[in-house]
Amino acid sequence: MKLNKIHTVVILGILSFLLNIPSLQAQEKFFRAIGTPHKPEVQVSWNRYYTYEGIVEIMEKIAKAHPNLAKMESIGKSFEGKDIYLLTISDFKTGDPDKKPAMYIDGNIHSNEIQGAEFSLYTAWYLTEMFDELDFIKELLQDKTFYINPTINPDARNNYMNKPNTPHSPRSGMIVLDNDRDGQAGEDGFDDLNGDNDITMMIRKSPTGRYIKDPQDPRRLIRVEAEEKGEYEMLGYEGKDTDGDGEVNEDGIGYYDPNRDWGWNWQPDYIQRGAYKYPFSLPESRSVMNFVMDHPNIAGAQSYHNYGGMILRGPGAEEDKDTYNAEDVKIYDAIGKKGEEMIPGYRYLVVYKDLYSVFGGELDWFYGGRGIYTYTNELMNSYQYFHKNEGRGNQEEQLKVDKFLTFGDAFVPWEEYDHPQYGKIQIGGFKKNFGRAHPGFLLEQDAHRNMAFTIYHAYHTPKLSITEVKEKNLGGGLKQITATIYNERLMPTHSSQDLKHNIERPDYVSISGANVITGMVVNDEDFNKVEEQKHNPEKIKVRNIPGMEAVKVRWIVSGNGNYRIKVDSAKGGTAEWRK
Amino acid sequence: MKNKFLFLLAAVCLGFLPAAAQDDYPTNKEVAQRLQQIGSSRDAKLISLVKTEGGEDIWALQIGRGDLENKPAIAITSGVEGHHVLSAELALQVAEKIVKDHSQLLETTTFYVFPNMSPDAYSQYHNKLKYERRGNAVKVDHDRDGEISEDGYEDLNRDGMITDMRVESPLGKYIAHEDYPQILVEAEGANAAGKIRYLKLSEGIDNDKDEKFNEDLSEGIAFNKSLTYQFPVFEALAGDYPVSQKETRALLDYLFERWNIFAFVTFAPENNLSTPLKYNKQGAEKRIVTSILEKDAELNKIISDIYNETVPLKAYNQENQGKGGDFFQWAYFHFGRLSFSTPGWWIPEVKQEEKDSLNPKKGKITPETNFLAWAEKEGLDNIFVNWTEVEHPDFPNRKVEVGGIRPFAMMNPPYRMVDSIAEQHTDFVVKLAEMKPKLEFHNLETEKLSGGLTRITVDLFNNSPLPTHSEMGERSRWLQKLQITVDKEKEDILAGNTIKLSGKLGAYEKETISWIVKGNGTVTVKAGAPHTGYATMKVKL
Repeated sequence: MKLNKIHTVVILGILSFLLNIPSLQAQEKFFRAIGTPHKPEVQVSWNRYYTYEGIVEIMEKIAKAHPNLAKMESIGKSFEGKDIYLLTISDFKTGDPDKKPAMYIDGNIHSNEIQGAEFSLYTAWYLTEMFDELDFIKELLQDKTFYINPTINPDARNNYMNKPNTPHSPRSGMIVLDNDRDGQAGEDGFDDLNGDNDITMMIRKSPTGRYIKDPQDPRRLIRVEAEEKGEYEMLGYEGKDTDGDGEVNEDGIGYYDPNRDWGWNWQPDYIQRGAYKYPFSLPESRSVMNFVMDHPNIAGAQSYHNYGGMILRGPGAEEDKDTYNAEDVKIYDAIGKKGEEMIPGYRYLVVYKDLYSVFGGELDWFYGGRGIYTYTNELMNSYQYFHKNEGRGNQEEQLKVDKFLTFGDAFVPWEEYDHPQYGKIQIGGFKKNFGRAHPGFLLEQDAHRNMAFTIYHAYHTPKLSITEVKEKNLGGGLKQITATIYNERLMPTHSSQDLKHNIERPDYVSISGANVITGMVVNDEDFNKVEEQKHNPEKIKVRNIPGMEAVKVRWIVSGNGNYRIKVDSAKGGTAEWRK
Repeated sequence: MKNKFLFLLAAVCLGFLPAAAQDDYPTNKEVAQRLQQIGSSRDAKLISLVKTEGGEDIWALQIGRGDLENKPAIAITSGVEGHHVLSAELALQVAEKIVKDHSQLLETTTFYVFPNMSPDAYSQYHNKLKYERRGNAVKVDHDRDGEISEDGYEDLNRDGMITDMRVESPLGKYIAHEDYPQILVEAEGANAAGKIRYLKLSEGIDNDKDEKFNEDLSEGIAFNKSLTYQFPVFEALAGDYPVSQKETRALLDYLFERWNIFAFVTFAPENNLSTPLKYNKQGAEKRIVTSILEKDAELNKIISDIYNETVPLKAYNQENQGKGGDFFQWAYFHFGRLSFSTPGWWIPEVKQEEKDSLNPKKGKITPETNFLAWAEKEGLDNIFVNWTEVEHPDFPNRKVEVGGIRPFAMMNPPYRMVDSIAEQHTDFVVKLAEMKPKLEFHNLETEKLSGGLTRITVDLFNNSPLPTHSEMGERSRWLQKLQITVDKEKEDILAGNTIKLSGKLGAYEKETISWIVKGNGTVTVKAGAPHTGYATMKVKL
């Protein structure tokens, strides 16, 4: 190398060094935290809640930023005409997402149980942002599909957020029914008397009242002893007698329960309070049902509710006990118990035994009606405040939380009000977004843990491969071909509920490029126990490929061509082998 | 108005009305024509609720005067089973007769007539290939093997009908009946020895070679097997979940908006009119109720007695009092209304002694032999397809014969018999309508109190042998309570409310109501619910 050339190189080097100085200074402001997308394409704050419009905007951003991983579609319209949007998350370059074993996730079926929408959405966001970062996520999306449906009650989600409500309302959707059977629908609902967009409690000073305000904490009402005189009486939630029948708040929005509208062991309202007209008579659950019927690849499902920290499985009603048999319960238990470890404070429970009886619930239709392994998580629990299990609605704990952790953000202080029927009253109490909903600072962690549970669930949907193909010469130009198909995950291609009713078609193992004389399923290779299929032996119908097990299929063929073997399972995906 | 005039003009010019020329059950098109004719009356209106997968209309005929939806109503539903073609004709004739002969009833009663809930299946009666079909036109995998309708019927003897198939086989379970050798009966006891044995199958080929014949038919979901009460999930013709079909949803959506229906009359194979449903304490007390409730069983008995006085045909082989997913049980158990069902007609019992005593019958009487005996007595021919041998690919070198009772013949009488059946059933429907709940005010008293106050006291009386609410209806959210309203400002009513709800008034039961009202003038007191109608009264203060 000549001297002046060296010169040039040195100068260039120095120049580039100097030019680099500003960029070096602007460099890393962030240091990677394990477990979280470091520089996400889509920026989302996971410490607040989103209205329907906010949810849709994030979904659009995810679909736009990751066109090869996310697709957004409307699966139907709500009662008020809002689109029910769903994201399909999968690696679109490795096959048709509707043919891969899939996990369906939805949230917010009860409109006041809002965080299911954010948790679902977090899952879509995490999977798409981590696809290029983690081999595990990459492989997961190559194998599987996630159908993510953040809110299946968009109308009443917005009503809960934008209009005055309690933590427990509206729960139903926005169809207005006649709850007191007087021929008028929704004529006497809550009234936001103090105009703060929360429906809190009404109390009144009364000589016969049984409560006093705690002298050390005036937010708190204490019931007096039987022989003591009280000062206040409770009048219930904010409202008045609008229709003049002598009752307050007896006929508001709803009431029906979207989670009593599903087509497995459905019962009418007089047996199952909250049932609407007939299964899927609500447009939102009908849209979900149509989607599920059109996607037989859904093998696992998750629905998010609140609250109490539970991982629930069916049966929803004792009458349905026999639907869940031992083989399926084993799989439910394996995944559910892992969930308890992944989400501290959450307990794995059975709806009818540990909660209450439900007919026509969503999870029972998914399992009973479609054979899909399904959990419902009741998000948020007291454990997350002080790592103690104080139970649902523990007033003492909640007052402490609002004193030491949220500094008064959760409580509307008592204020006087002139009521048209009750006269001078006081209005106050916990806000609608406290108790059931996570405070912002707890939201992201619980979203991540619940997502991790659904990923574990999705991972264990079946995964099929043709692990071995053996040939045996039978003489006379005949050949025996035996193929082994292995399912390397926990779930079978057909749950035992599915097998009981033949819900999903059998798995097909087919051979092409060979002249098939006969075909059979091999039940016991060592002792040649086989089951012949006379009709159409090129395509052997296999009833089920159990989890962590293999099945064998055999053909007797003539000729010497190069043949191809294919496995096609609705819930187990596809696999291929070529000679 | 103009359209009605044109239609009448056309009818007059052509010199006949479409119904007059009928000698067989009507086609879907003819049903529509007759409905349009009824719909052209000033008391009736015809609407189409939806079109089925097969492109047929689901018709609803609203018959009544004035404020239809606030008068007690009877819903008449037919074509609940597609092969029960009689039922559609019955609904048509009952509707025709109500409009023509009972129009005074329409001042106080509304009728909703749904003449055919299974038009897709019904059309098979008039099709080139006739068979008793129940399912609509959607594509369904009845045997749930992943292939749709891969094993339906084949007309092997090419007679345009699907009947039975018998195959001589030593393994067969059937033998010829002693008295009617064309009928197959199950072999039992000593008399079966030494006789030719048969396999009995429906006419067709085992297309998918699964050794089951015709197990996946080219038809869809059966209306009368797909409602919510005891839905037979995953069974053939029922489907994966209840109320899956658009005609079912359209009907139910329509009914859920008709608060005024107090009773259902359904023409279907189920029968709770010849014999009323029985109360079963255990079934009635379960969380999922499986028995008619006690007081409602009594009502069923009252109505049943009236039916048996009105319709002379004595019950015979009428054991079907409800099957899973059917319509008439839905109307009671899941919709909370009084619900009555009858096939309208069945084959009457033919007593032995009426027959030729020189040839005493020896064999067991079955519905089929009774049918043949009845047909013989009525002089009907062409009701049996004689056994003829066919070549059958599934039974090479075996004797396979096709034959049997003609489809439809056992469920539907010859058309000429329908008129009298329709007349009797119209009478029954009219009697039921006359029993509807009826609210009246009696014993009005107004007492002047001092200070411009008036005490109003009145008895509200249900002048009917039926209660305003069945026991089931009291439980259902889909039946309104009795509303008693006073059109006064709330502040002017010192005792009582502007609206008071009352759960129920029994048969001929009264309830005394009183208010203390301030001020002068008149007030209007109104009581009732859509399914009872309303009583109104002006009270001078």
